[in-house]
Amino acid sequence: MNNNPADVRHPRGPRPVWGMKLLVLLVLLVMFAASGCGATPPAWFRLNMVEATKQKLTPEQERQVATVISAMFGTPDNPVALPETGLDEAKLRLAAGPVRSDIVGRKNGLYREHCAHCHGVTGDALGPTAAFLNPYPRDYRPGIFKFKSTERADKPTHADLTRVLKKGIPGTSMPSFALLSETQIDALVEYVKYLSIRGETEIGLIRAIFELDEEAEGKLPETREFLVGERLAEVVEKWKAADTALIDVPEMPADIDLVESIAKGRELFYGDKANCVKCHGPTALGDGQANDYDDWNKYVVEWTSKEVNGDADKQWVNRAHRVLDGDTLEPRTIQPRNLRRGIYRGGRRPLDLYYRIHAGINGAPMPGAKGTVPPEDIWHIVNYVQSLPYELDGELGADRPMVARDRF
Amino acid sequence: MPRHVTRVRATIGASVTAALLFASPAAIADDWGTIKGRFKFGGTAPTAAELKADKDVEVCGKHKLLNEELAVGADGGIGNVVVFVRDKVAKVHPDLAGSKDDVLLDNKDCRFEPHVAFVQTGQTLILKNSDTVGHNSNVATLKNPPSNSLIAAGSESKLTFKVEEAIPAQVTCNIHPWMKAWVLIRSNPYGAISAADGSFEIKNLPAGDIELQLWHEKAGYIGEMSVKGKAEKIAKGRKKIKVAAGDNDLGEMVLDANLFKK
Repeated sequence: MNNNPADVRHPRGPRPVWGMKLLVLLVLLVMFAASGCGATPPAWFRLNMVEATKQKLTPEQERQVATVISAMFGTPDNPVALPETGLDEAKLRLAAGPVRSDIVGRKNGLYREHCAHCHGVTGDALGPTAAFLNPYPRDYRPGIFKFKSTERADKPTHADLTRVLKKGIPGTSMPSFALLSETQIDALVEYVKYLSIRGETEIGLIRAIFELDEEAEGKLPETREFLVGERLAEVVEKWKAADTALIDVPEMPADIDLVESIAKGRELFYGDKANCVKCHGPTALGDGQANDYDDWNKYVVEWTSKEVNGDADKQWVNRAHRVLDGDTLEPRTIQPRNLRRGIYRGGRRPLDLYYRIHAGINGAPMPGAKGTVPPEDIWHIVNYVQSLPYELDGELGADRPMVARDRF
Repeated sequence: MPRHVTRVRATIGASVTAALLFASPAAIADDWGTIKGRFKFGGTAPTAAELKADKDVEVCGKHKLLNEELAVGADGGIGNVVVFVRDKVAKVHPDLAGSKDDVLLDNKDCRFEPHVAFVQTGQTLILKNSDTVGHNSNVATLKNPPSNSLIAAGSESKLTFKVEEAIPAQVTCNIHPWMKAWVLIRSNPYGAISAADGSFEIKNLPAGDIELQLWHEKAGYIGEMSVKGKAEKIAKGRKKIKVAAGDNDLGEMVLDANLFKK
């Protein structure tokens, strides 16, 4: 039985035609196989479009920043660590690129395997899952990190980031990566630093374009002195200083009476020196301040409300809205922590709570008590905060009755 | 001694003599110019919206709080317009180079006073709390390390800045979110904030061509103005002027109401 319509139409001469078709098919198959059906197309870092649009860069200027930044830092598949960055390129290579095994069977591409789906290939917190998470994943590019052992404005130490990777961030979508080897975690921490330094340098370059004098004709000087000696150095210096910016924590007095300390801490919590009550609320359920933003969200909110919606250049406004749609997530207000849950994002050791109260939380509205509340009093607040999840309802002194749902 | 060396020496000698001859004290004094001007609102002056204190109502609720983003006086003057010299300043007048008094940014009556403060690098900014409630001052600098400290009732906190900033840094109080102020940080004394009547003055600038940066918190970089009915476009709010020795009056600069619609 011959069901081939070609054979029916051309009873005598179908073979050559089929021969041609088969040949074309074969060539296509070979081409497809050669490209490798599993091969990943090269990955690219995405330009910081929000900052570029905010500073009203022209397409040529955007291209210059993209070219310069990729010459300085390479691509997601081939990261470059200039010696001035102090980064270890071997570690970066382990974390970068597509997920694969290298010649000795070692897993490569760790960042894309474990991090990129939330934090994005560029570290811009625009990975495919980002929009579904609350809180949103961290955008590394502004170089602001919350949970660390250094003073408020300082960068985290390598150990701080390692701790976050190992322990995860309780109460958020950030899991623990404790099952990875030390070498792998170390490589990922190095890569996060790399993405952050790259992102912050990029922001610096974009802002430098705005700052240019008229004579520069809108072009950044492409000299090593300017790019590496000024823009990169400005960012790297802060990372290098982190290890010397550790918060000096005096030991909690050994003879401290816990009941007394908790009572003192409670007084401070409600008092107008430490003023914890204003945001964490009179019940400490985190309901004292509901309309503030963290720095990442505030940046989007203020840019939208102040500049985008008020600009006379309608074409630019349209462009800005496209960037806002594609490159930012819907801004959310920040929730002061509910202190009765016993979940501490930056770690639950008394030391971690001391860091948070002393320095405040970088990027968040939480101010530092340093200089206003003496160290011993900070320890009292730590003790009180640690007692909060276990405080009996009757002892609340609350403005409103405790709701079980709020508590657990 | 070779002849050309002698010739060079002779030339240097001559120029030194010439320099000495012309550098009389009067000539040096004439190298400095003072600029002044006034910003005027082009349009019907808007009335500032009243803000509602929803925190510490028993203290802050007692005061009438206004939105201070745009301050237009009764005579149409615009207050809190920031004016400073954008260029690197080669020399500073000896009267201005001396002591740098502390600059005060007070938390008073649940608002900041002044609304825009001007501080030089190395100068101390005192964040004071004159209220009976606690405040915090979140100073969002871009180039200097940002800071956010609690300031207990009746106490103060001090800040100094290492590098200058291209635009004023925002200061907010996270406890009382309606509170907003700005700090202009420059490496030289050549800056001014317009007074309630819109007038400003920058004294003893080195004479010559300079670029003034004009900024307002609502308008951003002031891109246009009209002087004596003549419209003027100013790219990125950088106004080029020539400072002559003595007094320079930039006159009345009218800023159109549309600039402040942001």
